[in-house]
Amino acid sequence: MDEKKIKITSFLCNWCSYGAADLAGVSRMQYPADIRVIRIPCTGRLSPKFILSALREGADAVWVSG
Amino acid sequence: MDTCIEKIRELSADLLEKGEVTKVIGFANGTIPMATSPIAIKTKQDVDKLVFNSTCGLNLANYVSGEKGKIAVIAKGCDSRNIVTHIVENQIQREQIYIIGVPCTGMVDKHKIAALFEDEIIDFSEDGDTLMVSSLLNTQTLKKQDYLKDNCLYCTHKNPVLYDVLAKDPVEEQKFDNLFPDVDRIEALDEDAKWQHFENLTKNCIRCYACRNACPLCYCPTCFVDESGPQWVGKGQNKTDVNTFHFLRAFHCAGRCTDCGACVEACPMGINVRDFTRKLNKDSLELFGWEAGLDVTKRPPLDTYRPEDPDDFIK
Amino acid sequence: MGNLLEHMGIERDRLHFSWISSAEATKFVDVVKEISDKVRALGSNKKFEKDYN
Repeated sequence: MDEKKIKITSFLCNWCSYGAADLAGVSRMQYPADIRVIRIPCTGRLSPKFILSALREGADAVWVSG
Repeated sequence: MDTCIEKIRELSADLLEKGEVTKVIGFANGTIPMATSPIAIKTKQDVDKLVFNSTCGLNLANYVSGEKGKIAVIAKGCDSRNIVTHIVENQIQREQIYIIGVPCTGMVDKHKIAALFEDEIIDFSEDGDTLMVSSLLNTQTLKKQDYLKDNCLYCTHKNPVLYDVLAKDPVEEQKFDNLFPDVDRIEALDEDAKWQHFENLTKNCIRCYACRNACPLCYCPTCFVDESGPQWVGKGQNKTDVNTFHFLRAFHCAGRCTDCGACVEACPMGINVRDFTRKLNKDSLELFGWEAGLDVTKRPPLDTYRPEDPDDFIK
Repeated sequence: MGNLLEHMGIERDRLHFSWISSAEATKFVDVVKEISDKVRALGSNKKFEKDYN
């Protein structure tokens, strides 16, 4: 099961989750490499079109985090 | 319903003669039986062109936005709700519009009637609750109640919610324990069956955008399907593109749709586009206690923030 | 939006929302693990993916 490659498109807010991701990185924390991060200036920048677009282009899941 | 047309014509003629409005938006007979088309009447002599019967299923709120002067519009229950939505969304000011409200007894479903006949329908007339429909081969007398559009069957706002004058006495409103049996039916399916249901639903879609044009909510200068940089949706009949279009169009109507059925009325392929929007109407009602277009002073749920808004989907 | 996707037959676990402060690296890691597990259980997305052929 773990061998299967999945792609999770992640829309991360520059000021919140992106910072958390950065902190996780510099803290050398281990987490699954399934996420593909897209930095957005604010979660409010996100349009439902983005989510559908990601799914249409082959993302297995979408994660929006503010 | 024929009785109120005299009153509508009288009111319209009066308004135009006094110069209170520059035009009256109403329905005129279409070029084929069982079809009416929207019309803008500008002179008193033309008011005889106005009609109102059980085939006026389109939504006239669609034609009021962007007007500069004062206009009058003939509004059924659902039209008036969409006018309220227009006012809330600043598409038109309340002072600019004179609403001739018509309490509605429901509109007939052309597809249901056409299915009864093998050949083309050549004549349609109605008298109260009975419809007389004839083709070259036969004539049938039908009960109007049996051939109403699906959205009219579950209509709870037959009387206009906002009007300046009523063309006839209000009708009795319907009450239902469950407003959304059709949504429940789809919700009861499992995931693959749901997906199959919507695949089947949209497989005939020819992407003519009649639903979008008929919808009073779809007034964006550039629709997302027409945007080209980036192009969100392909233009063809690829099933993903078709589903994306219907999904996102419905989503744009979330908390705004009044379930007027104009999209279904306009669809040349007989697709029940409402299967998408109904789910959102149900959610608006259940999550936010909201029905669109009832009050000009209230902002729609997706436009406001309240601390008690449901947030259990956020981790 | 999740509700409508689910209504159309897209699995609920394909769309996630979360709220993480920039100081919450541990929560970030936990959420990534949780989402990753859920999506792995679902497998790949076939339904909404556009077939360009």
